[in-house]
Amino acid sequence: MKFPFMPRLSKVLAAALAATALGAAPLSWAGPPDIGPLPEIKFDAKKAALGKRLFSDPRLSGDAAISCASCHDPKEGFTKHVPLGLAYPGSDHFRNAPTLINTAHKGGKSGIPWHWDGRLGTSLNDMTRDMLTESYVMNIDMRIMQERLKQDPVYVQMFKDAWDGKEPANGRVRDSIPEFLKSLVSKNVPFDQGKLSSDAKAGMELFKGKAGCINCHNGVLFTDGKPHNTGVPENPEVFKNPARHLTYITFMFSLGVEDRFNWRRDIGYMTVSHDEADLGKFVTPGLRELKYTAPYMHNGMIATLDDVVEFYNQGGGEDRPGLKDGLMKPLGLSAAEKKSLVAFLLSLSGDDLAYEPEKPNLSYPAIPNWYEAKN
Amino acid sequence: MNRLLRIRGAWLVPVVFALLALGAAGAYAEGDPDMDPALAPLPPHPPIPSDNKSAPTVYPAKMDAKQELGYLLFFDTKLSGDGSLGCVTCHHPDQGWGFGDPISRGYPGTVHWRNSHTAVNSGYLNKLFWTGNSPSLEAQAPAAAGGGVAGNGSNDMMESRMWMVPEYRNRWKQVFGHSWPTITEAWDAIAAYERYLSQPNTSFDRFLKGDKKAISEAAQRGKKLFEGKANCIECHNGPMLTDEKMYNLGVPNPQEWSEAGLHQITVRWQNYQRGVAEKLYREGKHDLGLYYESKDEQDKMKFRTAPLRYLKFTAPYMHTGALFTLEEVIDFYNEGGGKNDPYGTKTKVLKPLNLTDQEKKDLVAFLDTLSGEEIKMPAPKIPPIEAVADWQPRK
Repeated sequence: MKFPFMPRLSKVLAAALAATALGAAPLSWAGPPDIGPLPEIKFDAKKAALGKRLFSDPRLSGDAAISCASCHDPKEGFTKHVPLGLAYPGSDHFRNAPTLINTAHKGGKSGIPWHWDGRLGTSLNDMTRDMLTESYVMNIDMRIMQERLKQDPVYVQMFKDAWDGKEPANGRVRDSIPEFLKSLVSKNVPFDQGKLSSDAKAGMELFKGKAGCINCHNGVLFTDGKPHNTGVPENPEVFKNPARHLTYITFMFSLGVEDRFNWRRDIGYMTVSHDEADLGKFVTPGLRELKYTAPYMHNGMIATLDDVVEFYNQGGGEDRPGLKDGLMKPLGLSAAEKKSLVAFLLSLSGDDLAYEPEKPNLSYPAIPNWYEAKN
Repeated sequence: MNRLLRIRGAWLVPVVFALLALGAAGAYAEGDPDMDPALAPLPPHPPIPSDNKSAPTVYPAKMDAKQELGYLLFFDTKLSGDGSLGCVTCHHPDQGWGFGDPISRGYPGTVHWRNSHTAVNSGYLNKLFWTGNSPSLEAQAPAAAGGGVAGNGSNDMMESRMWMVPEYRNRWKQVFGHSWPTITEAWDAIAAYERYLSQPNTSFDRFLKGDKKAISEAAQRGKKLFEGKANCIECHNGPMLTDEKMYNLGVPNPQEWSEAGLHQITVRWQNYQRGVAEKLYREGKHDLGLYYESKDEQDKMKFRTAPLRYLKFTAPYMHTGALFTLEEVIDFYNEGGGKNDPYGTKTKVLKPLNLTDQEKKDLVAFLDTLSGEEIKMPAPKIPPIEAVADWQPRK
């Protein structure tokens, strides 16, 4: 008798046993996974260079007005130093733009999804596609994007070099931008290098102990990748600025939230689960590069790290009974302890990765002898 | 006419004879094997679909509530991707409810590739767009508002914008019985407004209804040429002066295609998005017209016969806007049409006409009778999006 599932099952068991033996498996009885240095990600340098140019090119958006870099600004920590993000012309965003530094460590097998509500966790290619086509992000018909790129001799050459002689194509765009993102990782982080000040060391002990941060902020990205309600107050701008509110309604529309007109709060993970128990839950953000990515929280409501630590010290914010995570309790941290925690958080930021993006020539030269040329 | 008669001749023949008996004479052009519907006055209003009712009134009568809502929406740039353009952008009252350039305006960052049609009298047509690929005004509006080189709007965004406008929610209550604007209802209201933009009382219509002094003698001579020697009526027949069939006339491609990168992008994109095989995409240097709908080789570069009403205000002409004046149009036909025929699909109907200068003038005089007074409607005050009043900090 044959059991077709047997081989797979035994593989899973073996993997679980091996992982337990190594002490690396995130098993609930073993406590939260430990924090640790980032592993290296390999990437293709030519595709990454191509992806870098695409990243700052407004021709990738519908009306050629904005690029990825408009909301994930290389000079502002690959986010913007504003509470709520920018969006496609005609709309305004309702959440804070997450930094893209280390974003390539999320998704796939990491179990850490993208977006504040964790609605996508498959691959960077899918993320890139979503951001390109989403009506309030880049709003591009990717076929137009492809034909625009084919009209730029610089891209034609870059695709040829990076993609084995091939032409610009929308699939190759969605594979080249991720190569650039893979290159966008923390560098020379004191924590990763084991170079913590004594203050930061004390902070790390609090992080793992008294303050309990590690319960959710764990693993190499300092996130469990799961949604939690911490009671962050609403950002009134979302509902007082109709351009933001309509973007939020559009977003809920695309995720099938029927009652989208009546919500006066960001429902968070509930847009994904459609379960009211998940109201106001947001995926734990990673804590690397915080030095460059203020303001904080899903709606940018907290301006500084000192304020963030104080927010948790008070046990988080307010929400309806039963919604807030049970772990959120007043911590009773002293002023010195809070200072140590901030010192530890800052030790998770490495070199400033800012650069001045290339400003591509946005004109489209005509293809000579057009009627004879092959498209 | 040929194919239609072959297929449906059995029931059409008695209808044609009945029309003849009523004195609405069908016209035989010399050398024309089939009978074409006669020129006829427009009915007082376009047909109103049972699933999108509105008042049977046309400009300049008072609009009903749905037409009025459509008036606002037609001019409202919220119905586009980046909120910068609306129906009115390419169908502007000052430009014949079309667009004054040969090629219609593109979405920012793009160019279009065909001439914009006038919205006036569009309610009388059964086929919209240059290849007739839209069967109703209700279906045409979203296709234009959503097209990548036109409105580039997405339904979720456009609908959410409507909802943020208190005035629309009030008007929706009045028109549709609820305050939750949907995008399909927006298209319905726009279609109702477009039916209002009709002109059934031109001097031509009055002439056909018996007022023999309604058009000049030159125009009357032009009408005879139209129906006879010039054989325009072969395709330009019926009350809208179009058979709504598809022909290749040999109209040249826009010069910009070989000279401007943005246009080359659009030509490639059009072939790509309209689903041609890769070989055709690689070679595609033409607007294949009806072929995109039928994928029939015989249909390459064929376009719907243009209606001839409101013509005075809708220059330039042809699907690429290649001809700027009616005189140029008549010269084009007088020479037997154009030479742009890489696929051998040009219609055999076009032959040199040997018109004299006087005959050409008479034809223009006749064409002028197909346009009434210019329909001028001012841009309405567009209601803005407004913040909700009921937001409270969470307790």
